[in-house]
Amino acid sequence: MSKRKSATKNIKIALVGNPNCGKTTLFNALTGATAHVGNWTGVTVEKLEGTYRDKKSDIKMDIVDLPGIYSLSPYSPEEIISRDYIISGDADIILNVVDATNIERNLYLTSQLLEIGAPVVVALNMADCLKANGESVDIKALSDGLGVPVVSISALKQNGLKELMRTVNDMQGKTRQAVSLISDGVLKDSIEKVSALLSDSDARLFESIKLVEGDKLLSQKYVSLEKEIEEIRKSNIKAIEEYNGDFESCVADCRYKAIGEKFGSVIIRGKEKTGLSKSDKADRVLTHKIWGIPIFLCIMLAIFHITFSSNFLYLSAVIPDGAFADADPITALFVDSEYELDEDGKISGANSIKSPGVFLQGLVEALGDLVNGERVEDEVVDEFGNASVEVTEEGGWIRRLLADAPDWAQGVVCDGILAGVFGVLSFVPQIMTLFLFLTILEDTGYMARIAFIMDRWFRRIGLSGKSFMPLLMCFGCAVPGIMATRTIENDRERRSTILLAPFFSCGAKSPIWYAFAAALASTIGWNEEITVFAVYLTGIATAMVAALILKKLSGKKGATPFIMELPAYHTPQLKSVSVHIWQKLKHFVFRAGTVIAASTVIIWYLLNFNFAFRMVDESQSILATVGGWFEWLFKPLGFGNWKFIVASVTGLVAKEEVVSSIEVLSGSVEEFISESGITTAGIFAFMAFNLLTVPCMAAVGAAVGELGSTKRALLAILFWVLTSYIVAMTIYLIGTYWWTTFIFAAAIAGIIIASHFIYLKKDKAIRRKVC
Amino acid sequence: MRLIISPQGKEMRVKKISADAKTKNRLQNIGITEGCNITLLQSNFGDVIVRVRDCRIAMNKDAASNIEVEEI
Repeated sequence: MSKRKSATKNIKIALVGNPNCGKTTLFNALTGATAHVGNWTGVTVEKLEGTYRDKKSDIKMDIVDLPGIYSLSPYSPEEIISRDYIISGDADIILNVVDATNIERNLYLTSQLLEIGAPVVVALNMADCLKANGESVDIKALSDGLGVPVVSISALKQNGLKELMRTVNDMQGKTRQAVSLISDGVLKDSIEKVSALLSDSDARLFESIKLVEGDKLLSQKYVSLEKEIEEIRKSNIKAIEEYNGDFESCVADCRYKAIGEKFGSVIIRGKEKTGLSKSDKADRVLTHKIWGIPIFLCIMLAIFHITFSSNFLYLSAVIPDGAFADADPITALFVDSEYELDEDGKISGANSIKSPGVFLQGLVEALGDLVNGERVEDEVVDEFGNASVEVTEEGGWIRRLLADAPDWAQGVVCDGILAGVFGVLSFVPQIMTLFLFLTILEDTGYMARIAFIMDRWFRRIGLSGKSFMPLLMCFGCAVPGIMATRTIENDRERRSTILLAPFFSCGAKSPIWYAFAAALASTIGWNEEITVFAVYLTGIATAMVAALILKKLSGKKGATPFIMELPAYHTPQLKSVSVHIWQKLKHFVFRAGTVIAASTVIIWYLLNFNFAFRMVDESQSILATVGGWFEWLFKPLGFGNWKFIVASVTGLVAKEEVVSSIEVLSGSVEEFISESGITTAGIFAFMAFNLLTVPCMAAVGAAVGELGSTKRALLAILFWVLTSYIVAMTIYLIGTYWWTTFIFAAAIAGIIIASHFIYLKKDKAIRRKVC
Repeated sequence: MRLIISPQGKEMRVKKISADAKTKNRLQNIGITEGCNITLLQSNFGDVIVRVRDCRIAMNKDAASNIEVEEI
């Protein structure tokens, strides 16, 4: 353990505090743009680090933002990370943020920090909020009682930060005796006895209290002392009869009692609080047992509208048709200038305004065209019958730059790398818009309420309320949806949520549905919206069945009761929202430039070269040949034709690619359908397959990052492939031979019954272990 | 009396928490201990929002039904 560092290194501060205590606001205020996100080794808990500088007094410190925690118990990864980090001595000083508006609960964590011998400074946040109620905090009494410096700050208004950091700086090199607030005689006796056993521990007081509590992690560390510790606990068990011999509750209770006795008078109460606070009143409406969900759906609809609608506020109802038909290129970024002419020459369309999300997407696409636009040549025949080629579009500047380069070089750069990267980047505006709103909802405190009202419905299929928001985001895009699963604390629920993410048809998949729905409408006369609706429903139904099976397979251990603090509502802060968005954006763009660029090049290569490394027509390419080998595999799904397989594979780059490669291979979707002789059942199976199978590379990348291990990521990919194959086959066979319905019904019932038995067996095994 | 059927808006005292160790620990960490004051703010079919030690806590029925309260 390296406790002291050389003089050249900055001192290191660890920020510790409850969730919602203003810790992250303080971190952002102190570190500004120097912050960067990493992960704690082995777990998907974010690690935020940054540097604080005060040029005037020449103070420079590194700050680590530990996850928000309520306690140092060994139950959640956040708590374990925090306590391991604090005990390791890597941080020189602990900066404990305490929310003055609920000081009692916040001091519960402080009392545990004091048991570790590291220097502690308490930053008392939001004391100014108390003044509004005529209350105040006796800072001197608090500081004397805790035995550590206390500085009153407002992280939001950035008041008192300099004084705080000066106080922290003064603590440098000082040592502090570990102290405990627990004054109960019996516990004290046990703690002292255990402490006597741990003569060479670095955090003797902390560890002995935790061992008395019966902390499982520490018991593993001190296996050799297990018997002695158990004897000490047993000898005192009678004295804590009122807690049914539960040392953990006894310790918790003693802490709260000590805090109440010692610091009960620290808050100088003003007039007695009467009635409900503003947040309570808002909750009456927003978490109402009947209206809560409809209100939320309206908010979500508005968010999706702003992000994805090309007819903003439905203004086309009041703008006459063709109003924007002659829009110049700049105006066309803001409005929809496309229109149709019917037989009488009447204009329809070109009368809607784009929503901000669509506008931003258009902007990125325009940028893509500028750099990598296709060169368009038209053959013109003049009046004498002489044909000549006229260039109608010059093409992007990279294309012009490479005009004299060999075909393959142009192909690699323009059709491979740039087309793929810009294809992915064109999603960025909408993903970020969606994320912006999500962050705002999170920041206001509304998200915690949503998790609460949705919990009872999601629990039935083995997920929790916290899975709802990420899954809903997936209708927009699976990438932010998968990233948003971080808020789910239960590992099993988080992994299940990630697995279900692609089943919720994202915006990029919708071109596939529209193209096939239009084709089906003209061939078999099905209504387009019914087809599209059926696809969405297939996804949701599959997700529900899959969630149930995943729940059964994992046994009962996954079920954690939902307990969550609802922070007071407050207006979101520009700074914390923008920091959050910026970090996500950086992460995403970085991936677009690495993993995604590489994979698009590979697919481009496979689609344009044959095994002899010659550039060939796509129908003779490696992908077409290999696709041909696998035609038999897709026969039971009704689309055993290499073109379908190639289209599905290109969908891995970006799901719109499915339609564009169909167009490249066959000219149009209608032609594609007629020349391949696919049946209607086959088309539905093909759509279901593309809906449920491995999502695009961007989403797979996000899933790999969140799942945290290659093995789990490979299992996830296998899960998607299997699910899509089985569902697509079911659809095709039932659609073709109606009597197979009975076979499939029996098979599904069989799977559910079998998984129920596995569940019972696991449940029994767990119970046996507990007993 | 069980918390989920206690009168809304009235301050009560937690008499007993009869949950498994992990749930009990989570309840304690978030501020709900035996003997502390608790006010039921809202109940949605057994899922509740309560006020404890100046903060609002949401719990589902599984967690809330473990809590027994008494009048002060």
